[in-house]
Amino acid sequence: MSTQEAQERLELLQGTLDLLILRTLIFGPRHGQGVARAIQETSEEELLVEHGALYPALQRLEQRAWISAKWGVSSNNRKARFYSLTAAGRKQLVKETTKWKRLSKAIARILGSEAAEG
Amino acid sequence: MFGRKRKLDDFTAEIEAHLQLEIERLREQGLNEEDARASARRTFGNVTQARETFYESGRWVSWDHFWQDVRFGLRMLRKTPGFTVMAVVTLGLGIGANTAIFSVVNALLLNNLPYAHPERMGTIYMRTTGPQAADERRNVDGEQWELLRDDAPSLLCAVSSMGTSGVNLQAGSHVQYLRAGRVSAHYFDVLGLQPVLGRNFSEDEDRPHGPKTAVLSYGLWRTTFGADPNILGQAMLLKGEPYTIIGVLSRNATTPLNADLYTALQARRDGEGQGTNFEPIARLRDGVTWQQANAEMNRALARSLRVQNFAKNNPGAQRAYYFVPLQKSETDMLRPQVLSLMLAAGFILLIACANLAGLTLVRMLRRTGEIATRLALGASPWQVQRQLWIENLLLALLGGAVGIEVGFLALRGLLLLLPEHFLPVTTVPLDSRVLAFTLLLTLMTSILFGMLPAFTTRKVDLRSSIASRTVIGARTARLRQALIAGEVALTVVLLAAAGLLIRTLIHLETMPPGFNPSGVITAKASLDDVRYHDPAAFRKLLNESLASMREIPGVQNAALGLTLPYERALINGVYLKDGKESGQGVETNEVYVTSGYFDTLQIALVAGRAFTDGDGPDAQPVVVINRSFARRLSHGADPVGRYLNRDGKDVLIVGVVGDTVLSSAGELHAGSAPLTSEETIYVPAAQMDAQSLALVHSFFQPSWIVRSSGPVEGLTAQMQRALAKADPNLPFSGFYDMKDLMAATLVTQRIEVALLAAMASLALLLSAVGVFALVANMVVQKTREIGIRMALGSTVGQAMLQIGRSGVGASLLGVVLGLVLSAGALRVMRGVLYGISVYDVPTMATVVFTLVLVTLLATILPTLKIAKIDPANTLREE
Repeated sequence: MSTQEAQERLELLQGTLDLLILRTLIFGPRHGQGVARAIQETSEEELLVEHGALYPALQRLEQRAWISAKWGVSSNNRKARFYSLTAAGRKQLVKETTKWKRLSKAIARILGSEAAEG
Repeated sequence: MFGRKRKLDDFTAEIEAHLQLEIERLREQGLNEEDARASARRTFGNVTQARETFYESGRWVSWDHFWQDVRFGLRMLRKTPGFTVMAVVTLGLGIGANTAIFSVVNALLLNNLPYAHPERMGTIYMRTTGPQAADERRNVDGEQWELLRDDAPSLLCAVSSMGTSGVNLQAGSHVQYLRAGRVSAHYFDVLGLQPVLGRNFSEDEDRPHGPKTAVLSYGLWRTTFGADPNILGQAMLLKGEPYTIIGVLSRNATTPLNADLYTALQARRDGEGQGTNFEPIARLRDGVTWQQANAEMNRALARSLRVQNFAKNNPGAQRAYYFVPLQKSETDMLRPQVLSLMLAAGFILLIACANLAGLTLVRMLRRTGEIATRLALGASPWQVQRQLWIENLLLALLGGAVGIEVGFLALRGLLLLLPEHFLPVTTVPLDSRVLAFTLLLTLMTSILFGMLPAFTTRKVDLRSSIASRTVIGARTARLRQALIAGEVALTVVLLAAAGLLIRTLIHLETMPPGFNPSGVITAKASLDDVRYHDPAAFRKLLNESLASMREIPGVQNAALGLTLPYERALINGVYLKDGKESGQGVETNEVYVTSGYFDTLQIALVAGRAFTDGDGPDAQPVVVINRSFARRLSHGADPVGRYLNRDGKDVLIVGVVGDTVLSSAGELHAGSAPLTSEETIYVPAAQMDAQSLALVHSFFQPSWIVRSSGPVEGLTAQMQRALAKADPNLPFSGFYDMKDLMAATLVTQRIEVALLAAMASLALLLSAVGVFALVANMVVQKTREIGIRMALGSTVGQAMLQIGRSGVGASLLGVVLGLVLSAGALRVMRGVLYGISVYDVPTMATVVFTLVLVTLLATILPTLKIAKIDPANTLREE
């Protein structure tokens, strides 16, 4: 049913969203809304992240100790929870990036050859 | 883990902050408040869902569910207070018994002795093969001690006297009776004890005829010497001689001797050094293994005369010495007792678990409706099971908490029961290991008694369970009966074991004493005193003090003996002078006595004469022998007028007296009962020479014996005054009647009986409760059926019989099982039974009778309720 669908979608997004969050945090601590905006803006609005889906991902990354969080004050003087990359998270980012690049290259190759054949 | 947990509130606040930031950004882009809010919410998605995802992602859920289950479980337990109290008390008693016994096991067998590196400390054992096979702790003689000391370089060896002996210490005008231990140089070094003041004995002080020195225990230094910091080098009058104080042990220092003060042993090869009278203890030097030490010790001891003589006289027999860690040898004697008590305690816990399994089973089945409803409302079987297990765990934990209390009290009681220095350890703590054991036991019990009900509830059938009300099937009743049979069987074993020990104790306590124990009071004083090494002074003391005691009004007679019936006696070797066995050595108990000894104790004279005042120091040396010795000597011929060779002198046997009962602790014969009648010779106190007096008085304190016709007011004070007339500086250490002496000898048996009887009673009580609960439950469950039967013409008696059968049947099956079990298991008790066999019919009959009686009681009480059943009511009730 609906939860099942949501879980499937989540699983589909899981690896990618985690990678994007880690990547965004490489420039320094950000709060949740900042991360969402950054992903959207950097991807030139191609990727539309549902903000609500971001938080379980952040929660998960925090539990794995790849990011750490603490309450702070935003540039416009609002209280917000700021996430920053830990050393383990940085390592994970490198690993995931490499993996993602190989994966996309491989897929691109397959898709490319398919296009040639078709 | 829980500390890292984020609260849901915190998460909500974060989402709120996110929305605000988004709204602000949108407003900066020109949207109005309302549009911005709507847009932010839209982009965020479902806030509630995000919160739920967060909640479920954490371990919050299972934690909350767990608490829910615990709260529900506590509510359920509160709803059935009768069941809960019964279960907690049952478990508390079972766990308490185990906690108490385990703390003794822990203190004796698991905890280290209070010495540095106790694993490197050893005592000497000897294994003998051949016809006289043995494997036991051994002491050494003077020559062997020198060999160990000088020829075993990988060991630091020391020896001590066997146990302590009473001595008189004169501090100021006051004379005190104390327990003194005699130890060699390095004794305290082997134990790793450093004195708080002064030093340990030097090798020079330990040589024969060396300077007289003493080391005080901390307690004596505090009480008698007022913790005087300048005590070192001072002299005190000990054993009638000045001794120089050279050291004070620290407050926590304990030794295997546990003496008030220590003097240098000054071991020699002659005198006491001729016998194996020294208790060795050794510490392994660094870098040496026990194997090396064993080899070295065997090489050294092989050169001793004792070992060479044994080899000469026993061709084919092999003797090997080896070290056993001090811990093991100190607890060797108690180990089987303690372990069998632990086993008995385990039985009790099993019985408690069986009872509880029966009770929880019924409880679960009563709740079938509730469980079925929960399942119908969508609870998973796992959730239902978890709920049940949590309830079991709660019960067990409550029982465990009560058990720790019970165990603490039981342990206190047990330690009060034990005489001082009975255990080789100073404290028996309820430490973390005991508590961990109790916790483990608690968890185990919850599994043990919860397993059966949990299995039955797995088979709950939804439809039939909700519909029907009668839930106790025949299968469950049989299961409960099996549990009862099992616990009754264990109870039979415990009762039989306790019964056999009780019979043994009765046998020992009612052994014909061979004298008249009533109307006798005795008092001990230490003659380990240089003044009384002189036989003339010794005789004068005896004559004057006994004469004064005879003058006390009401006193019939007074005498003195080195030892008394019920006590262990000195062991001496004598040679038979004539007949077939001429020249053969015989080991025997030996007691010096004054001429009135046999009269005063009313020991029967069988042949010849008793001692008279004429048997003085210059007269013909004489002895009186007892019946057992006479049998050994002459096989029926008259021994009076024949001679023995004792200590190099020919002594004339002038009389034969009846056997008296005495302690076998002298180990004249291996494996004899704690109280026996053995070969004994009596010698006149007046014929003891100086050397013998010094020797025997360093082991034994003689007893003054007074017989009175009736109770005499202030007799003990008058006896002390009578002694003071002869020597004002000689205190009695205490006054005893014959019952005291018998109790002291049988203390181990008495403690065993008390503990095992207590445990067996507990088992009996628990079994009775089990039968009672089974039958009471049957009555409740079958009220309707009984009502119908009675409406159809059955009498109350028939109904009672019908219901009661279940309890009686189960119990009888248990009795039979228990008897079979006892026949096999109790054979291990053979070594501690005296005067009866393992298959003792009266004991078994009593056990069976007791159980039948208790079963009938436990069955009849609940069935009495049946009489109150009104058939009309029960039928209408539905």
